[in-house]
Amino acid sequence: MPRVVRQAAVAWEGSLSRGTGTATATSSGTFVLPIDLPSRITDKPGKTSPEELLAAAHAGCYSTSLAGEIARAGGTVQSLDVMCTITLDEVEGKGHLIVSSELDVRARAEGIDQAGLEQVARKADEGCTFSALIRASASVSVRAEIAS
Amino acid sequence: MAAERRASVTWKGDLRSGSGTIDEVGSGAFGPLDVSWDARSDESPGGKTSPEELIAAAHASCFSMALANGLAKAGNPPERLETSAVVTFVPGTGITKSALSVKAAVPGLDAEGFHAAAEDARKNCPVSQALAGVPEITLDASLDS
Repeated sequence: MPRVVRQAAVAWEGSLSRGTGTATATSSGTFVLPIDLPSRITDKPGKTSPEELLAAAHAGCYSTSLAGEIARAGGTVQSLDVMCTITLDEVEGKGHLIVSSELDVRARAEGIDQAGLEQVARKADEGCTFSALIRASASVSVRAEIAS
Repeated sequence: MAAERRASVTWKGDLRSGSGTIDEVGSGAFGPLDVSWDARSDESPGGKTSPEELIAAAHASCFSMALANGLAKAGNPPERLETSAVVTFVPGTGITKSALSVKAAVPGLDAEGFHAAAEDARKNCPVSQALAGVPEITLDASLDS
């Protein structure tokens, strides 16, 4: 299999608390995003953050994995809505850690029922590259339901 | 204090011929962005982002913040850090490497102090810890003279 390489770049100026940066998608050119500390840790993120970028990565990775698993189980995907919530928390003695990633799925698919969906949703988690990695510091949970 | 960050993706169709969209993120800072298996696994991304590119952006951002923090706490806030992260994905195997590189302008700091701070950020930033299962997380750090 070929190796696939993807690159992003950040330019940062100043200290952590007062400085600001810019994150750029170098490979695809699809985004240039400002970042700073308040957007990462407060309740009102006006800018993106590492955790939000990881949430987008996990939702993207998991949705491709689930699309593959539903087809393998004989179902046909019309659409999958996947929401990912990543939590950064301060853990005693360890500083800030990414502690959880929660995936919420609503699936429109033919040829698969709720029980079947729950089964492939677990398989998709096992097969998702990112789920496997992030378990180094975070718990991963998946809730999946058939959209009516 | 726990900070939650959210993103939503819609996927249509199967893996190979289907496609998806990162519809929105909690901050509203980006989206919609298209994603597809071809764009993810081809040598050329064809103008679409991918989980690996987003991980590269998250890793470069997190490392930069951790390094800025370490330097500032030691009394030498950086004038400027230029960081890149290159994430390698092998379809069927997974993510095999994240290569960080940083060029920094830090007034008043020698190379030894800078390299120690950079290595600490590589090891301990939250994204590095979350990606501890990646076989290689490398760092190339240089201080502008």
